[in-house]
Amino acid sequence: MTAVLDTRGVTKTFAGVQALSDVSLLVEPGERVGLIGPNGAGKTTFFNCVLGVLRAERGQVLLDGEDVSALPVHERARRGIGRTFQRIELFGESTVRDHLLIAERVRRGDGRLWRDLLGRGRPSADEVAACDRVLEQLGLAELAEEPIEHLSLGQGRLVEVGRALMTRPRLLLLDEPSSGLDRRETADLAATLRAVQQAQGFAILLVEHDVELVANFTSRSYVLDFGTLIAEGPTDEVLASSLVREAYLGPGGGPG
Amino acid sequence: MLAVTFIEDVLRGVLQGLPPGAVYGLIAIGFVLAYKTSGVFNLAFGAQAYISAGLYFQARNEWGWSNLAAFVLAVVIVAPAIGLILERLIFRHLPPGSALAKLVIAIGLSVALPNLFELVVGFEPVAGRTPEGLLNGGATVFYDPTGLYAFSRDELTALTIAIVSGLALAALFRFTPIGLQMRAVVESPRMTELNGIRADRVSAFSWALSSAFAGLAGVLIAPRFNTLAAPDFFNLVVVAVAAAAIGKLVSIPRAVAGGLGLGVLIALIDTFLPRLSEAQEWIEPIQDNVTPAVPFIVLFALVTLWPALRRSQEQSDPLAGVDPPPPVPAASVRTPFLTILTAVFGVCFFLVVGVVVVTRADVSWLFLITQAVIMSTIYLSVTVLTGFAGQISLCQGAFAAIGGFTVFQLADRFGASVLVAAVVGGVIAATVSALLALPLVRLGRVWVAIATLAFAAFFDAVVVKLPFVGGGGTSLLQGTRVPRPVLGPLDFANDRLFLGLAIVVFLACAYTVTAIRSGTVGRTLAALRGSEVASESIGISPTRARVTAFAVSGFLAGLGGAMLSIQQENVNYASNFAPFAALFWLVLIVSLGARTVEGAAYSGASFSLMDPLIFKGALLGWILRSEERIPGIFPISPKWRFVLFGLTTITFAKHPEGLVEDGKRKAHARVERWRARVRERRQDAEVTA
Ligand SMILES: Nc1ncnc2c1ncn2[C@@H]1O[C@H](COP(=O)(O)OP(=O)(O)OP(=O)(O)O)[C@@H](O)[C@H]1O
Ligand SMILES: [Mg+2]
Repeated sequence: MTAVLDTRGVTKTFAGVQALSDVSLLVEPGERVGLIGPNGAGKTTFFNCVLGVLRAERGQVLLDGEDVSALPVHERARRGIGRTFQRIELFGESTVRDHLLIAERVRRGDGRLWRDLLGRGRPSADEVAACDRVLEQLGLAELAEEPIEHLSLGQGRLVEVGRALMTRPRLLLLDEPSSGLDRRETADLAATLRAVQQAQGFAILLVEHDVELVANFTSRSYVLDFGTLIAEGPTDEVLASSLVREAYLGPGGGPG
Repeated sequence: MLAVTFIEDVLRGVLQGLPPGAVYGLIAIGFVLAYKTSGVFNLAFGAQAYISAGLYFQARNEWGWSNLAAFVLAVVIVAPAIGLILERLIFRHLPPGSALAKLVIAIGLSVALPNLFELVVGFEPVAGRTPEGLLNGGATVFYDPTGLYAFSRDELTALTIAIVSGLALAALFRFTPIGLQMRAVVESPRMTELNGIRADRVSAFSWALSSAFAGLAGVLIAPRFNTLAAPDFFNLVVVAVAAAAIGKLVSIPRAVAGGLGLGVLIALIDTFLPRLSEAQEWIEPIQDNVTPAVPFIVLFALVTLWPALRRSQEQSDPLAGVDPPPPVPAASVRTPFLTILTAVFGVCFFLVVGVVVVTRADVSWLFLITQAVIMSTIYLSVTVLTGFAGQISLCQGAFAAIGGFTVFQLADRFGASVLVAAVVGGVIAATVSALLALPLVRLGRVWVAIATLAFAAFFDAVVVKLPFVGGGGTSLLQGTRVPRPVLGPLDFANDRLFLGLAIVVFLACAYTVTAIRSGTVGRTLAALRGSEVASESIGISPTRARVTAFAVSGFLAGLGGAMLSIQQENVNYASNFAPFAALFWLVLIVSLGARTVEGAAYSGASFSLMDPLIFKGALLGWILRSEERIPGIFPISPKWRFVLFGLTTITFAKHPEGLVEDGKRKAHARVERWRARVRERRQDAEVTA
């Protein structure tokens, strides 16, 4: 079986800072994989390189076995990568449903100028229905008409997930979905994600500082430190390894 | 022998280019200073240079002051004072990171300040009155130290003063505390704040200093113009931006070198192009206009082809990442109720205007109302580009002119149908706009504005002069005539009928714009405006979306420009479409409302009707039912219009959606509160019953 995501030797430097060196990582279809590491380890940078927001200096990104390294961001997105953002990125001045509608329209790919001009650019009934299904799954149905500025951070993160889901991704990249959420909200989010993922069968690559969430949610994990992968394996083993503790707590840091 | 003359020619070109180059360098210094210390892309330095030049001229010639006294007033006192005022009252209150708002405000000031100055001082540009330089006999006394090029006294003064002030600035930076602090701020504003330097004091000082440089440059360059007029000084600032861009906007020495380089390049092309055009005939008609356009071409090329320039700001400042994110705008989703309310109001408004037109409007009012409708059509092009796509374009005048010139060429010269020609004009403008957009769409918004400005200046200097565009020599004598269309029995030479046509065109365009807003393109653009990276992550192609927006905008501008030319039966390029004239369009629509069709309509109405209706006192006369009772302060000068709307752009930082939309939202909130109170009261009543 070809991996959904296969990166080979991805390397990125910022003005002398080695943010990623030689990162090679695999995500199989339908898998939930963790990517952990201390602050500044390069996790977000890795996501940006996978999606093409940043161009890696070296290395390849393969999606379903196809090399997408030369493609622009939107092309990679259309080939099946969905994503949420560490610093939340919503479209101002629109409603929750609008966020999903535009994603659905782009996925269908029938947004031509002439259709707009003929007055046929408004959302169709089945587009709205598709969005409402996802909103329902995420527990956002009641907020569909709400202006995005009225939402809490937790709800905003869910909208980001919903927007990504509308693209029917094969791989969902989640960048610290729990940051800014309390424990209950985090647990709810995890349950919701798990349910949606099982229904649709996409793979998830999760960047997360909340160790509990990573332990419960993922089966396999990679550990990134100073841009280098220092460990990989089943999540519980990885979390227990001394190398990982050292990366997080510094050398000599015992279990705490 | 040939080689010797060649080298002599080159040297002569260099000498000839140094004086103007030094003046470009002076403004470029000011530009870099202001940009680095407060992040303002201050296009208003052109206006400030104009004010100093005008004040010097006025004090010397009208008030009989000595040259020195006039110079001290214009350059040493007033120029820095203006800079200080702008910094204290406006720019220091804008949050960091609001680069686009700062640019828009600078554009507003470019429109407001020259008019405010003319009103306050009573200065009137008089055609053909060449301004004098600092020393008497500046244009008539020559020196030729090298035997290659005779400097006029004005040129030599400019060169000397520029060199001296450049050295003075270097000394200031090196030896004085405030200079050292400024240098630190220029290197990293945030870092200095952490080090306890009072960045606001430094910023005030550098505004005063940079404005003084602009004023100095204005006085020094003035003798090169035939007439002292604001648009030339606006062009001057574009040249300075090009010079500053050569220094990546951050390096003062390189900006000065850039200014000198441009001056020399222009002089060299001036020397050698005529020889080339002897061999290549096609160059001849544009020869005179290529040289002034050189800086615009350089600027456009730098912005589009030099990625390091666009990144210079972020990279040079190690702490750029710690800027707080921009404030979240207040919730601004329109409710259906608000939409209906606006529609009802709009229909009533147009019914009233319609009745007035049919029953009482005479020829001149009919003309103005028609113009208002057509301008609204043109402004819809700004609605699409600025309101929907969030891009500031400063070349909408060029697109509109393309429409006008197309009708002139096809209909007047080749006898094509006028209406068909108007549509063709729109299509050509759309094509040009889309092609122009291709290299621009991935640039930041400020750079798009600068690049379109460069294009507008280039179009103005070169393209308009081409025979197949502006008609060349013949049109100088005959004007760029445009006929009125005839459609079967309908002869649109009839002004009332033509007004009907203008309204039909406007409604069709307005429909297009609303359909786009609620359709895929509008939603895509709104998403891109909200977050580019998130839009891309769901598969939106920013390039495609923005090129579409540019094309639609170009079409609307071209069609509107064609209609305006048909109405006036002449393209009237200089007064209708020149870059400086078109700046006011942006200022108007940004002030009133760039997001909606109503905003465009109000802008069109304000453009044409505000002056005759309000400033000339006609409205008051109708209300008072007699012309005699109009108070003596009427008629108010139409220049106040520019001042008013120019200064209104300051609100853009807070209300990018414009005053109309903002006012409507507030009114709507009030109505909603009132309705809620009524509902509550009714419920209370039910409970007690
Ligand atoms: N645009 C950028 N320019 C310069 N350096 C950057 C940029 N983005 C990230 N970096 C640097 O690259 C390194 C990795 O950053 P990254 O954001 O990927 O870390 P992270 O693992 O996501 O950290 P966190 O857990 O805090 O989100 C850091 O040292 C950071 O300072
Ligand atoms: Mg991160």
